[in-house]
Amino acid sequence: MKTEILKEIIKRNSLKEDFAVLTNLSTGNSEIFDSKKLPGKEFKNYENKIKNFYNLKKNGIIDGTQIFIFNYIKPVEIIIVGAVHIAQYLIDLLKNFNFIVTIIDPRKYFTTEQRFQNVKIINEWPNNALEKIKTNKNFALITLTHDPKIDDPALSYALKNKFFYIGALGSKKTHENRCKRLKEAGFGEKEIRSIHGPIGIKFGGKSTPEIALSIVAQLVSETNKILLNSKN
Amino acid sequence: MRECKIIFFLENNLNQCMSEIILKSANSWIETKKKVVLATVIKTWGSSPCPIGSKMIVNEKGEFLGSVSGGCVEANIINECLELIKNKNSFKKIHFTVQDESAWSVGLACGGELTVYIEQIN
Repeated sequence: MKTEILKEIIKRNSLKEDFAVLTNLSTGNSEIFDSKKLPGKEFKNYENKIKNFYNLKKNGIIDGTQIFIFNYIKPVEIIIVGAVHIAQYLIDLLKNFNFIVTIIDPRKYFTTEQRFQNVKIINEWPNNALEKIKTNKNFALITLTHDPKIDDPALSYALKNKFFYIGALGSKKTHENRCKRLKEAGFGEKEIRSIHGPIGIKFGGKSTPEIALSIVAQLVSETNKILLNSKN
Repeated sequence: MRECKIIFFLENNLNQCMSEIILKSANSWIETKKKVVLATVIKTWGSSPCPIGSKMIVNEKGEFLGSVSGGCVEANIINECLELIKNKNSFKKIHFTVQDESAWSVGLACGGELTVYIEQIN
């Protein structure tokens, strides 16, 4: 692989774009491919096959060829509402996976740079903040404030916009009350039940890092479930 | 029981972050004038532990980062990468099969099989 290609992969990866790297296993040459680009001379005979793998985001040796393709995919996005202590641990764990993370919290004393570095923070109420982000179904929401006036608008927004994962921190009682409020706000039972609350898988821990780990475990597990369904 | 949500559009590659870290490290090695070989898993069979696209880099000192198996074939990959640098070759495909239990050979204890492609970055 040429150094220029390596640098281009790093650059495109940091821009969070969709692209793929093609490698000709019989000549050793590689190039970058995306939907706007035609494959170069070593690859153009297999254009349709390459596009097929690219559109399905399949990685591997393309059938009947000596071409290897690896897809770099624009990650799904995670919105965290509440710049609380758990959020600090979440950021730390989430950076190991392919997610884009944004924190929303209107309370400035929580969102200090000392507490959060290298993460996008929006210092506004969830309604305003979420409208500024172009969300789609490739988004997940994690609410951590357990304060209805901050969490509820975010949960309503995520339900209406069909986020693929919605989780809300709070005890069973807090969650029951939350469900009641959402019902009063007009959400159906099925929608309300789609919220993971209390958030996280159960493994008995109560400390901050344990709660963060249980949330990440649930998020990754749900993401993988849907990814598997998307591919089949 | 929660109903299973079937959504057909979600796309992600959760292990892409590791590729990113490894490629960035490769770049910094190159910038310090080190010779770097990139190893990539290009095909797997059975229960081989690292998915297609998993990466490892090796420099001429034999230092390495990343992985292509659960520790089963890394030592062999390092040697192959050093050979590649020494012989000034640009690439090679290496296939690993199930471990032969009667010998101290390289192989996959897990019963999987994999093909790794190694290439010099230059």
